[in-house]
Amino acid sequence: MISLEHVLVVGALLFSIGLFIALSRRNAVGVLMGIELMLNSVNLNLIGFARFVEAPRPIDGQVFAVFVITVAAAEAAVALALAVAVYRLRQTIDVDRLNLLKW
Amino acid sequence: MLDDLDRIGPVLVMAGVAALIIIWDFIPRPLPAARGKPLLFVALLGPAAAAAWTVSLLLRDAHIGCGPLDPLALSNAPLCPGGGGTLVEGVFSFANSVVLDDLTIFFFFLFAGIGAAIILASNDYAKRFGDYEAEFYALILFATSAMLLLSASRDLILIFVALEMTGITQYILAALQKDRRSTEAGIKYLLLGATASAVILYGMAFLFGLTGTTRLVAPGDELSIASVINERGGDLGAGLIMSLVFLIGGLSFKMSVVPFQMWAPDVYEGAPAPVAAFLSVASKAAAFAVVLRIFFEGLSGETVRGDWADIFAIVAAVSMTVGNVFALVQSNIKRLLGYSSIAQAGNFMVGLAAVSAAEGGLSLGASGVLFFIAAYAFTNLGAFIVVIAISARIGSDQIADYAGLARRAPLLAAALAFALISLTGIPPTAGFIAKLYIFNAAVESNLIWLVVVAVLNSVVSAFYYLKVAGIMFMGESANQESIATSAALKLVLGVAVIGILFVGIVPSPLLDAARDAASVFSQ
Amino acid sequence: MTVAEVVFYLLALLSVIAAVGVVTVPNVVHAALFLILSLLGVAGFYILLSSEFLALVQVLIYGGAVATIILFGLMLTGGRDLPAVGPGAQWPLALLVSGALVVLLLTAVLNTTWPRDAGEMTLISINTLGSVLFREWLLPFELASLVLLVALIGAVVISSQEERES
Repeated sequence: MISLEHVLVVGALLFSIGLFIALSRRNAVGVLMGIELMLNSVNLNLIGFARFVEAPRPIDGQVFAVFVITVAAAEAAVALALAVAVYRLRQTIDVDRLNLLKW
Repeated sequence: MLDDLDRIGPVLVMAGVAALIIIWDFIPRPLPAARGKPLLFVALLGPAAAAAWTVSLLLRDAHIGCGPLDPLALSNAPLCPGGGGTLVEGVFSFANSVVLDDLTIFFFFLFAGIGAAIILASNDYAKRFGDYEAEFYALILFATSAMLLLSASRDLILIFVALEMTGITQYILAALQKDRRSTEAGIKYLLLGATASAVILYGMAFLFGLTGTTRLVAPGDELSIASVINERGGDLGAGLIMSLVFLIGGLSFKMSVVPFQMWAPDVYEGAPAPVAAFLSVASKAAAFAVVLRIFFEGLSGETVRGDWADIFAIVAAVSMTVGNVFALVQSNIKRLLGYSSIAQAGNFMVGLAAVSAAEGGLSLGASGVLFFIAAYAFTNLGAFIVVIAISARIGSDQIADYAGLARRAPLLAAALAFALISLTGIPPTAGFIAKLYIFNAAVESNLIWLVVVAVLNSVVSAFYYLKVAGIMFMGESANQESIATSAALKLVLGVAVIGILFVGIVPSPLLDAARDAASVFSQ
Repeated sequence: MTVAEVVFYLLALLSVIAAVGVVTVPNVVHAALFLILSLLGVAGFYILLSSEFLALVQVLIYGGAVATIILFGLMLTGGRDLPAVGPGAQWPLALLVSGALVVLLLTAVLNTTWPRDAGEMTLISINTLGSVLFREWLLPFELASLVLLVALIGAVVISSQEERES
């Protein structure tokens, strides 16, 4: 029988890998991929909770996931626009080379 | 349903005016130059209508207060017999996910004021956005409307969506100038902000999993995060601590404190000056509103209170120190204000940590945070308005270019110097009273070490704040040409300076408002 | 082992290995393809956890829209022509942070007593989800539409070419 812990362990692994990608990729779109993976692990947790946790309204977990997906898509669209704008001005989206503003 | 809509009326009119501006911009006009003025007035409609609506809500829902308070009392005296809101009863709407109480009203007024100030102050600068001037005003209003809703939200899902709305709007605003620095600021802000959002979400998901609900507080017997934690706080264990750490970690980005603070100087430097001003005041205030709602309402149970208060105390001390030390070596005024805002957010957090006092519970620290946020809004807006004015005219943000400003623009220089004095915390300014009040709250909670750290940090901050003032008054400039400013900017700068002085000399009205707002936490 | 368990472990293997692939392959376009694979694996979990609607949305939005956005992003920013670059200089630090995080998360997950039912299926029909979304969650729903509007305006404003100053 699959239990809640199974789901949460997969969620934790995906979240950590996503964070690693976000921190280590140099390409801005690559960083975005890591972020998408992190958001997906959150959704996986939410769906796991909605399925297993004893709650008066388990459906809220699914509703939450719907909103996360919606907002993530909007964010990705803005990220693409920004990446294109940066590339047009700088011919690179390598985050290590975007250093006009010092970290 | 209509009642529900009425209670979030300020949010609706603000967003409505934003949409109106977008449509307005479609109407072709013969002279592009004739655009600016009416646009400014249409944009101002948003905050004005929101404030008017809030006043009407207040008039309709107010019940009799508890009489005048001792004006200068800094003590922890109970406000009303039995506590509770003194102006408005908490009224729930939208299936209890939104609440209209004193805290909401406080933030409604604060955000409407900040929105109006930013719009007026952008009058000179907005021409730089070229064809996108209308979008600039619309996005500012959209962001402000989401912040209004944030301050009223008592539900994790609603908080998340509203937080993302402010976030996405601000990523766009940061990049709106579309030059190399501005777009770089935008993409850095977005990538870090989205990462922080994922971290917040992970914490929220755990909280949902542990409690089975997304409501922070609910009336009556309805299940809420607060009720579950009160019932079985002890055995939620590692999962609860984990979600606290994730929530604080992710929200630290929005508050711009350690460990997610590094974006602030970069984004402030790269973003257009009015946007930097907006981020440093409105966005930070919204983040603290969310923190107050989540921690002081949802997670205020006796069993978890100590855990997060300790984390907040450490974060406060580290943020102040990091912000001030880095600010010492800055040569760009927007970057300096970026680091200064990290240090100031550390000061706000002293109030978040001051919760362990037995009597009065959470409301003393919270009222300190609210008072500080309002005082800081006047002060930092004052400083940033001058930066906006100078940036719009001479196109530079280097502190070296501020040399001799006292002769070129005596009013601007005096206003900036006054704002910097308030940021340092020297009387008779709002910043002084705010620090006094919040340190008092910390002392009451036995956080003496934190107050010592904070006072030492104030001394350090005096070096860089007063250095800027020194350069303006003592420095020599080759260029003696005077700097002209628009009437709108002068007006809002005057309001900010008078605000700093008024709150510094007669703090009681704002103090009462902050205490009323914080009284929602004493129930 | 039941069928559900076998499917679960296969999906877990698929999505985790694909996620590792995103970070190990040098070419960003290949990384994007691995990401899509991983996200489809997550959609599989949703079906397994009786959230068919979410699985459908996941395939449509992530497998369709977001994947397209990311691939477009790579094409428009010359990702294909870039020489294969390794991870950034801070990758050892990133590995340390993520490694510490995974240990912490697993400890927290396994040391918490989660409130749970007896393992009964909580079946939620699309009808219920829809009516809840439009009644109780109306406000965040409308707000989400504003988020999309703002993103639309922003994307147009930021990515449009300047023509006036030439």
